[in-house]
Amino acid sequence: MIAIYVCAGIAVYAALRVIFQRNTMRKLPFLNVVSFAVTGIIALLLPHPITIAAAAAYFVGSTLESNAIASTWAGGMKKDE
Amino acid sequence: MLDESFRILIAAVICWLNFMTVDLIFKLPESGGVCGATAIAQEVEKGGGNLNGGFMMGNIVSSPDASAGTLLASCGVFCAGLFGGLFAAVLVYIGNRICYDPGYAGTTGCITATLIVYGATQVGFAASDFIAGMVIAILTIQGISYVHASRLIARLWKVRCRLLRGCR
Repeated sequence: MIAIYVCAGIAVYAALRVIFQRNTMRKLPFLNVVSFAVTGIIALLLPHPITIAAAAAYFVGSTLESNAIASTWAGGMKKDE
Repeated sequence: MLDESFRILIAAVICWLNFMTVDLIFKLPESGGVCGATAIAQEVEKGGGNLNGGFMMGNIVSSPDASAGTLLASCGVFCAGLFGGLFAAVLVYIGNRICYDPGYAGTTGCITATLIVYGATQVGFAASDFIAGMVIAILTIQGISYVHASRLIARLWKVRCRLLRGCR
């Protein structure tokens, strides 16, 4: 099971990059890598048909959070109103 | 039988080509899908990167695109075979709508990835190789250097515009 160690190693590396990157907007791509790696770890740890729903729910949720952070930081939804 | 680490590297290359091709065809580097993606692109450009590359990086962050589709398709095939991958495509479609993304890059990438991963499992690969491969592939774009990654995407975007046209 090298795959799970690859995912875990990349998750820790990206998390460290998130911590040491000072600019909030530039943190988000690293946070995205963490989400990818954690989604992979969830699926690899729990090989069950329902896991795909859990992994997708986690991934879409974390993407929506990043989307919300970026949009709020950029000034909200003023353009669409 | 190939060694697992070697299979993961080959899977990473296949995943990279799959999500990059689908994302470029669906014009992700053209503009930001939501205002947050545009803001990330501007920040990437301010740091010395390329604006078009930044748009694609911002779009990947803000909504499930073909890279997310490839990952979830691999997870789906790993957990439940071919139908798991197709079920993942439905979940990516719902995820796109939740994130206010009008595009279909994620769903298309998920369906193509399901076929690729399922096909590869028939010739000696494991679906878990593609999960780790996709995490490596996204690391090369989002997790190493945003300056170099955005310039690479911009170069590929120019090639796509020359071949397929329809770019602004």
